[in-house]
Amino acid sequence: MLAFLSLARAKKLKSCLVYLFFLGFMGSPSLGLAQGVTLYTPYTKISVPPGQSIDYSIDIINNGSAVRNASLTVVGLPKDWPYELKSGGWSVGQVSVLPKERKNVSLQVQVPYKVNKGSYTFQVVSPGMGQLPLTVVVSEQGTFNTEFNSTQPNMEGAANSTFTFNATLRNSTAEDQVYALQAQAPPGWNVSFKADYKQVSSVNIESYKTKDITIEIKPTDDTKAGKYKVPVIATTNGTSADLALEVVVTGSYAMELTTPSGLLSGEITAGDTKNIDLTVKNTGSAEIKNVQLQSSAPSKWEVTFEPQKIDNLIPGGYVNVKASIKADRKAIPGDYVVNIDAKAAETSSKVSFRMAVETSLLWGWLGILIVILALGAVYYLFKKYGRR
Amino acid sequence: MASLANKPLHPFWVIVNKEIRDYVSSWRFVILLVLILLTCFGSLYTSITNLGKSIKADDPDGAFFFLKLFTVSDGSLPPFHVFIGFLGPLLGIALGFDAINSEQHAGTLSRVMAQPIHRDYLINAKFVAALIVIGTLFFALGFMVMGLGLFIVGIPPTAGEFLRILFFLLLSVLYVAFWLNLSILFSIRFKQAATSALTAIAIWLFFTVFYQIIVNLIARAIIPDGASSPQQMMAYQNLVMNMLRIVPSQLYSDATTTLLMPSVRSLGPLTMEQVYSAIPSPLPLGQSLLLVWPQLTGLIAATVLCFAISYYLFMRKEIRSR
Repeated sequence: MLAFLSLARAKKLKSCLVYLFFLGFMGSPSLGLAQGVTLYTPYTKISVPPGQSIDYSIDIINNGSAVRNASLTVVGLPKDWPYELKSGGWSVGQVSVLPKERKNVSLQVQVPYKVNKGSYTFQVVSPGMGQLPLTVVVSEQGTFNTEFNSTQPNMEGAANSTFTFNATLRNSTAEDQVYALQAQAPPGWNVSFKADYKQVSSVNIESYKTKDITIEIKPTDDTKAGKYKVPVIATTNGTSADLALEVVVTGSYAMELTTPSGLLSGEITAGDTKNIDLTVKNTGSAEIKNVQLQSSAPSKWEVTFEPQKIDNLIPGGYVNVKASIKADRKAIPGDYVVNIDAKAAETSSKVSFRMAVETSLLWGWLGILIVILALGAVYYLFKKYGRR
Repeated sequence: MASLANKPLHPFWVIVNKEIRDYVSSWRFVILLVLILLTCFGSLYTSITNLGKSIKADDPDGAFFFLKLFTVSDGSLPPFHVFIGFLGPLLGIALGFDAINSEQHAGTLSRVMAQPIHRDYLINAKFVAALIVIGTLFFALGFMVMGLGLFIVGIPPTAGEFLRILFFLLLSVLYVAFWLNLSILFSIRFKQAATSALTAIAIWLFFTVFYQIIVNLIARAIIPDGASSPQQMMAYQNLVMNMLRIVPSQLYSDATTTLLMPSVRSLGPLTMEQVYSAIPSPLPLGQSLLLVWPQLTGLIAATVLCFAISYYLFMRKEIRSR
């Protein structure tokens, strides 16, 4: 009994729900139906990124039995969202639909790049006949700008060193961009941009991508110590970004290796040692540390330096070094090249000596001795047999 | 001056004068002179026609343009110094092969010896006279080549080049003096002039033609196989070079090459170690001379030795008999 009762009640409830459902269904399009014209599009809520163009295909359906002229306007679209209604190749404002027929109109809406994230609702209205509410959800915060950053925009170094900055260029627009890269450096400075290890003057960056750009700044060697600002700009026709790099020049590294007299040739007897005075001068404006003296001499020659290493060389200062060159005993007479380098981490200087090798006179004297012996023998013969 | 002119000549120089007169008026000297003059002109002609081609951009000998007169050839005719190396011995032999034995044969030797002069005056005078003739001839030839070269080419020699040419001429005289002494030695040793001439020419031929062939045969027999070390190869090369250097003509050609081509820096095989970072540059004259000093010493010593032996033999010789 109880079970029957509850079943009957459930049936009643169900029929009630069905009625309500029907009521609701009839309710919303009732306005269009009443006039006999329905505006229809399948996708009424679309989610798009900024910069996207949306194509709606809207059907205007004439439910009535007479020809209807439906004017079409778009209401509620934000001001900077351009749109266009088109049909049959024309831009249309009013569409005439035959009874029991439908007409297709395309609505093209351009979502701008610079748009806030959120939901935007607008309506396609045919005054007095019907309206079609449409919702566009902008999926992300739309931007139209470029970011140019460097984690270390300040560098310090000698005037003759190269300053290498690593920067990141980000294209935060919804379009691919070609950036022209420019720098405003003091005259004579050399600024080069490198992307993917190649020297470039412009870079192509896809939408929302970044590119690592290396900026190499080479000041002139005679740059005075101080702070220098080098603005670097990446521009396209629509957007630009700049990066202020700062170069702090401490001084220049320059070293000169020479002899006190400037003479770079010498004579050496094969197998003998020759001492040469060298002068290592700091001609730059920064202190040079740890100068090593090295040589590349012919095989089996020995070159030693006293001192072998200079710990500290103040600007304008010089150190005298004694180089002793020992020629190979088997060196053939004539000229040989002996290269001597003064090397520091920052700079180096090289000097080439032309060493004229002379053969030892020892064998010459031996030859003379043999000749004298032979002549002595003749003299002896003269003495013994000559005058009798 | 007047007293010097009026003073009678020293008997030694009287003999020298007489010997020079004999040499210069003899037919064999004239024939050899013509032969040498012809070859000299021939080599001068080839060197001058090929002088232009011999100039190369990075030639270390480029600065010694004038020396090329003596060394350049296109292969059709040997250059000047090779001709001298070939004909010089012949000249020396021609002047010396009958120095003593023909006199003895003609009976003039005992007649000269009857004069109140020292016995060694004769042999010394023979040698000095021949040397003067040869020296004059070579210096005349050398200066003629230089003069004609200067006239045709129009580029004067530098001081270094001039000195090198002088040393080259001195060396040539020395080389011919060796052959002269050798043939004088034979002329004392052998009674017949023909024997001494043939012996001297045989030695000359042997050293010029056959010795190289023999050395080549020996060299081929003892050649180290391919797997031998560089030291062995060096030793082998040195051995072959030293075998060749027993010959006076090899000594002469080594020395002239070094003197006339200043870029020659070594006469033996060289290791890479020695060549590494060497600049191909000409040697100064002093160094070139030091380089050929062993050759010079050898030539001088051989010449003096020949002279000493001939002197000794002559002094001990029985000269009265025919």
